[in-house]
Amino acid sequence: MVDVSQHELVPEHTLIDEDEVESMLTQYDVKRADLPKIKRKDPALPDDAAVGDVVKIVRDSRTTDKAVSYRLVIE
Amino acid sequence: MTEEYEYITDDIEAIVTDYNLPESLRHRIYETIEDREGVTIEQADEIAQAISSRYEDSRVDAHDPVGTVSAQSIGEPGTQMTMNTFHYAGVAEIDVTQGLPRLIELVDARKTPDTPMMTVHLEDEYAENRERAHEVVWQMEATKILALGDISTNVADMIVQVDLNEDTLAERWPTVDNIDTVAQEIAETIEDALGVSTRRSETLIEFGPEEPSYRRLLQLVEELRDIVFKGLEDISRVVIRKEENEQTDGEEFVLYTEGSAFGDVLSIEGVDASRTTSNNIHEVYRNLGVEAAREAIINETMETLREQGLDDVNVRHLMLVADIMTNRGEIESIGRHGISGSKDSVLARAAFEVTVNHLLDAAVHGEEDDLDGVIENVIVGKPVSIGTGDVDLRMGSLETDGGAPSDSAAEHTDD
Repeated sequence: MVDVSQHELVPEHTLIDEDEVESMLTQYDVKRADLPKIKRKDPALPDDAAVGDVVKIVRDSRTTDKAVSYRLVIE
Repeated sequence: MTEEYEYITDDIEAIVTDYNLPESLRHRIYETIEDREGVTIEQADEIAQAISSRYEDSRVDAHDPVGTVSAQSIGEPGTQMTMNTFHYAGVAEIDVTQGLPRLIELVDARKTPDTPMMTVHLEDEYAENRERAHEVVWQMEATKILALGDISTNVADMIVQVDLNEDTLAERWPTVDNIDTVAQEIAETIEDALGVSTRRSETLIEFGPEEPSYRRLLQLVEELRDIVFKGLEDISRVVIRKEENEQTDGEEFVLYTEGSAFGDVLSIEGVDASRTTSNNIHEVYRNLGVEAAREAIINETMETLREQGLDDVNVRHLMLVADIMTNRGEIESIGRHGISGSKDSVLARAAFEVTVNHLLDAAVHGEEDDLDGVIENVIVGKPVSIGTGDVDLRMGSLETDGGAPSDSAAEHTDD
């Protein structure tokens, strides 16, 4: 099987713990459900991700060095 | 971080870091100072201050209708695009839809593009050696019987004869030494696909219908032509090109394919699974996930505009489009009904098309309208919820008895 994370189109996906999720949500003043979504079956998602988790995505941005984004794992 | 810069002292770094600037801008400042071979602390502060205020100016204001601005910024250059052009820059042999049709295809999120294609990068020796590169080509390109030999139908004996060309077999199966094995493999493929039994002597394969039937015979020949003996069915042609490799400064062989089978190609030996791409955003989504699909949408739209000389469209607009299209974890199209035809407001939908039906349905289902959008508010004559329209001004009243305002009144005016 091909290692998807090695592809240059795929940015780094990391699962973050509840504390970090909470502080991120307060920082941006958003609700969990307002985050962009990612399917649980998404090939780039870490294997141990469960529905309701939040993944942190660090992209190589075109407008700045690194852009950090978050996605909520859904069914 | 600042070690790489000779003239950036800790003081200058502290001053620049003090301004809330993005990483890349900060590096640009360091580089500029470096070019000038050092500046005083005061000058550094002045530079950082100037850049910071320009940066603040160029930021999007709160309540700015960014979507509308993006729509206009992509739409206007769109009017200058050609209605239809073919040709892929550099690879003249492969036709690719470009211009407006391609842009529409992308935002519509069509399941398959009009002209699917892939850019396949190779690994190590496969990228350097033309022979090895060809091995990968033969694994991808769909090989049909006409490419392998001649077919003849013998009506008198009710048989189809396939005379395989030995040189072609040797060329297309470079890893198999024995031609006989290849011919046997082909005969077996025919048996499996057509459900007939074959007779083979050397490279001559014969078969016919069980019962003598002229129609069945012709049908077998038709079906025989469609069998894929080697390669991937979706890839009809592969072109090899020698290109500069930006990473290693050397040259490498790159394959361009007509037709796309991204998932299958990624697992072929010799294919560099980290750089190979497809122009089918759905295939990218299926194999690499939403984030890769988002990148692919940005790349493809940007490339389409650039190809037409319209690269002055700011990439942020294209990023917004890609963000919206992938927001719900899968690729959604942006059509004339908005993102996948989802519009919450009844009034907004009714204002667009088939007014009565929308209103009637809404009435039957007892729908509510929160009047959040622009169209609804124009209809009811309220300020729209963008720009200054979304800012409320609160005023307190001042009770005057001729003297100074009381404390409680003063508190109110602070709002």
